[in-house]
Amino acid sequence: MDPVVQMRNIHKQFPHVKAVDGGRIDIQAGEIHALIGENGAGKSTLMRLLYGMYPLDSGTISVGGNVFSAPGYSTKEAIRMGIGMVHQEFMLVNELTVLENVILGFEPTLRGGRLDFSRAEENIGRYIEDYGLDVPLGRTVKTISVGTAQRVEIIKTLYRGAELLILDEPTAVLTPQETEQLFSILRTMRDGGKTIVFISHKLGEIMEIGDRITVMRAGKYVTTLNKKDTNPAELASLMVGREVPGDKPRVRAASTETVFSVEHLYVASDRELSTLRDVSFSIRRGEVLGIAGVDGNGQSELIEALTGLRKIQGGTARLFGRNIVGEKPRAIRAAGLGHIPEDRNVRGLNKDFTAAENLFAARIDEPRFGGWGILRKGAILGYAKNLIETFDIRPAAPEVRVAALSGGNAQKIVVAREIDAEKGFLIACQPTRGVDVGAIQAIRDTLNQAKARGVSILLVSTDLDEILTMSDRIVTLYKGRITSELVNENVNIESLGLAMMGGAQS
Amino acid sequence: METLSNIVTYSLVHATLRMSTPVVLATLAAVISRQGGITNIGIEGIMLFGAYFGFVSAWVSGNWLWGVAASVVAGVVVSAAIGIVHLKHNTHIFVIGFAMNMLALGGTRFLLQQMFNVSGALLVDKPVTLPILRLSLAERNPVTASLFSGYSLFELLAPLLVLGVWYVLYRTAAGLRLRSVGLHEPAARSAGIDVYRVKMRAILLSGVFAGIAGAHLSMGYSSMFVENMTNGRGFMALAAANFGGGNPIYAFLGCLVFGLSDSIAIRLQSTGIPAQFVLMVPYLVTVAVLTSAMIGHSRRSDAARIARKLTEEIQGKEIRGKANEKGKGS
Repeated sequence: MDPVVQMRNIHKQFPHVKAVDGGRIDIQAGEIHALIGENGAGKSTLMRLLYGMYPLDSGTISVGGNVFSAPGYSTKEAIRMGIGMVHQEFMLVNELTVLENVILGFEPTLRGGRLDFSRAEENIGRYIEDYGLDVPLGRTVKTISVGTAQRVEIIKTLYRGAELLILDEPTAVLTPQETEQLFSILRTMRDGGKTIVFISHKLGEIMEIGDRITVMRAGKYVTTLNKKDTNPAELASLMVGREVPGDKPRVRAASTETVFSVEHLYVASDRELSTLRDVSFSIRRGEVLGIAGVDGNGQSELIEALTGLRKIQGGTARLFGRNIVGEKPRAIRAAGLGHIPEDRNVRGLNKDFTAAENLFAARIDEPRFGGWGILRKGAILGYAKNLIETFDIRPAAPEVRVAALSGGNAQKIVVAREIDAEKGFLIACQPTRGVDVGAIQAIRDTLNQAKARGVSILLVSTDLDEILTMSDRIVTLYKGRITSELVNENVNIESLGLAMMGGAQS
Repeated sequence: METLSNIVTYSLVHATLRMSTPVVLATLAAVISRQGGITNIGIEGIMLFGAYFGFVSAWVSGNWLWGVAASVVAGVVVSAAIGIVHLKHNTHIFVIGFAMNMLALGGTRFLLQQMFNVSGALLVDKPVTLPILRLSLAERNPVTASLFSGYSLFELLAPLLVLGVWYVLYRTAAGLRLRSVGLHEPAARSAGIDVYRVKMRAILLSGVFAGIAGAHLSMGYSSMFVENMTNGRGFMALAAANFGGGNPIYAFLGCLVFGLSDSIAIRLQSTGIPAQFVLMVPYLVTVAVLTSAMIGHSRRSDAARIARKLTEEIQGKEIRGKANEKGKGS
């Protein structure tokens, strides 16, 4: 069978990184083609090139027999060729309705350019019925759930006439049950003749949904396999290019001393879904407590409240016996809190500053780094060099701007700074998001070492695997309430998933 | 009491429309660019150029239509310059907008001196002005005459233009595209929309309206050109567009409030209150309106609503808790 899409010799250079370096892929009609690789392997970039979002540096794309090469290929062209893409960050306008979002750019109009809403609804109704893509057309996007928003994105591509659908890490934001629902929609679509490219780095999912699998590593094409001819272990070593050391067994904390506790915490949010109500939990010395939940169920608000960045409206939070409600972030840090923020680019780093400046930032008041408003550069560089070596940050250049570092190394700077601050309590949010496999392991090891030294860690992550490998106890957060609390031994994934959707509340 | 009845009379309606129209037209320019995600602070300058070239062209040609045409051309040319510098060369809109405002201020003064050898104002014997529409039926009675007759062309057209802009923004494909560009550019781009073109068009159309606003200022609202005669109206327009949240109808209502306060201020001058205070009134009203609009908006926001609800919940719990304790005690 002839492939509908062929990409050959694809190259794409970004300012600091060669994202795709000789990429290729053959996609056949009517298959679910999984594209896998580590973070930063170039999977998303390759597919964005296919969708015409960036100009090609070199290489050819052939779609249904039409050959394109750089330049002269755009999103408009890709859409015309029947290609649709659902991005990791949804491309939806929050203030507009679902219907307006779907028709945007391809509006059915009456005379005089007037929008024909009834014809639009008719057209979209077809896809809703055929594939079970249930969405409320009249609601504004900001009022619908993430799972629904994803279905809106799929309908959008179908409405634009997509025969080939690219999904970029679609399950990252979904609960296990929502993922199942998505998979059944994708299978229905494939059986109905659509072609699907599924980008992921989760091997379990790929073995479940993929028909054929293309592996990428460091921007390069590795191989393409049939699912039935391979297994997760082989895929993992192809992705990483070496054997992946597994996580070391967890060591349980023995202490009974409570380091941090919150009781009946209430925190307001801009959205009902993420408003915290009556949240209580406690963490012992040297213990890792995992907060599991689908993104947007109050995790961000909880972290902001505990770090003093958001107003707490009711309840208490005690750190080493001291009530921190209403305290300034600086005072809470002084009381013994370290914080790895959920988005390093927003709160973790100043990307225009150097690695050294970011590393010593938490210690700027110490006399060894200067006084009277003047910084001692030598001391700062020496301190930074030391950390760079300890935490294996690459390149080992303290004066390089953080913007030039890869995601993994940038994250290591945040981790190094917060671990080295030697606080007794660490809030770690999504500590390995957007980080390559090697760095993931290094960061997890670092956190486990801190734990062994007696540091208590509140781990907030939407990555269930991470929660399960790292935590001693797990708390699930759903719609701003705690729906279950359990010890991490022989945890039933099914019931954990249900709790993440509020199922275990009763 | 007597002063109040001297101030609030039927003629206030006409006066309000008269005072607000220059701002209304500029507001449409502000609304269109705002919906495309651009705070076009250059409107003030575009308006001033429009006022100058409109007045001069009409006077030289003897035909007001040529005047309006010249204003529109001036508006498009200046806004094209703003658009190219801002969109193509990625200059912050405040930088290029502010530069254009200063160019307009100095440029029109320079042209006045070079072309007519006057400074300050250009007053001519027989200025060509925009037509004034009279309704002979209404003119028989002073009240109906004031309410329904004697409006300058754009004083009547402006409300219609407001409705027209609203229709295009909220009921047509072009409007949907413009709004999506202003709200979330990546989403618009991924829908295959040419964001650059949509924004450029919005800036050019904004220039057309700002040019017309200028034409009205020198040929309808008054019949002369005065240096800096826009006097901050371009910025009031931005405030009105903001007040209306980009919706031209709400923005229009905002302009009417400005116009009303202006008219009242003028009447207050004849009551013996020191002029310095009286002239402050419109600006005080502007600040008051904008502040109350913002407070209202933030109180109505989801965040504020949820925070209030949560506080009530917590208080409810505490009260119930105390009641329980009492119950146990007895």
